[in-house]
Amino acid sequence: MDNPTSRSSLPPWLQGMRDAMPLLGGYIPVAISFGLIATQANFSVWEATAISALIYAGASQFLMVAMLASGASLWLVVLMTLLINARHVVYAPNLTPLLPPGRRWIALMHGLTDQIFALALHRLPSVSEDARLGWYTGAALLAWFSWIAGTALGAVAGASLTHQWPLLGEVMPFALPALFLVLIAPRFTSPLWFIVLATTIGAALLLTLLQFTNAAIPAAAATGALAYYALSTLNTQKGADHEH
Amino acid sequence: MNTERWLVILLCAGGTFLIRALPLMWTRRHLAKQQSDAANTLPTWLGLLGPLMIAAMFGVSLVPVRHDWIGALATVAGCLATLLSWYRSRTLGKPVFIGVVVFGLVTFGLNQIVHSVVA
Repeated sequence: MDNPTSRSSLPPWLQGMRDAMPLLGGYIPVAISFGLIATQANFSVWEATAISALIYAGASQFLMVAMLASGASLWLVVLMTLLINARHVVYAPNLTPLLPPGRRWIALMHGLTDQIFALALHRLPSVSEDARLGWYTGAALLAWFSWIAGTALGAVAGASLTHQWPLLGEVMPFALPALFLVLIAPRFTSPLWFIVLATTIGAALLLTLLQFTNAAIPAAAATGALAYYALSTLNTQKGADHEH
Repeated sequence: MNTERWLVILLCAGGTFLIRALPLMWTRRHLAKQQSDAANTLPTWLGLLGPLMIAAMFGVSLVPVRHDWIGALATVAGCLATLLSWYRSRTLGKPVFIGVVVFGLVTFGLNQIVHSVVA
């Protein structure tokens, strides 16, 4: 695996931005769609942009706007939004052993989206400890600004953009599965992990196709964890049987 | 209505930030406590969840914008191109770029074929 800090003389924050560039292909088209949908639901450009800047969590933003536009109870909107974002609760604990001490990390957790988590979990081990704050700041800020700028663009000119380049909205979002594939590919290290990851991917795909998009990530991860423990137990039992 | 909207936005923003930031503080405290017991480790299940969440995100994101055979074929082609490029280069940006280009070319090409057949 290439080492992001050793392969170039770039400062860490710039290296982080460079590593986060592939995210933009997925972020900007979705952010443009959000800006467009929010203004169509009678949110002002400022409100749409503020939602992206302050909440910064894709799926829950779409749901929040739709629920508010349909006149749902305010507390129900807050509850549903936070429920969708609850999966983020396991991201920071996974990264904690990789993060050097410092209070700035707490504020930087605002940028801990699904994609930044995946990228950081993959990249931070190969970034030297003193460069990690800079690397994460660069990666998270680029992703955050692209999300905000995409939303503002979508709110101001989303309709004409999607009318002019309809294929672009279809093609650019493929950057996200491509990025996740690159991040997960090195984990296929043994038959056990192959089965566990394939089970997780299959479960997530199936749940999404069945329209359970919001539950798909935690439910598929839980299915994968069950598969891991079931197979590990089976392996241990087999090993014990062979010994006897 | 505007005040209510802003209240919802601020509550959701505050709640989402806490969901992301509080576990960092809890885990740091947990690790610091364990370090004093000379066992600086996270529970196994937590370490397991990281790659599984990424695999789940991959599965969710695999569903293309267009839900038809063109979207499905372009997704398969894009994934194969990404995987092949990653296998050869072991880098991050290039495989993603190649995957998107192949996905776009297959989508565009199949669109053209369908349009010419229909015409």
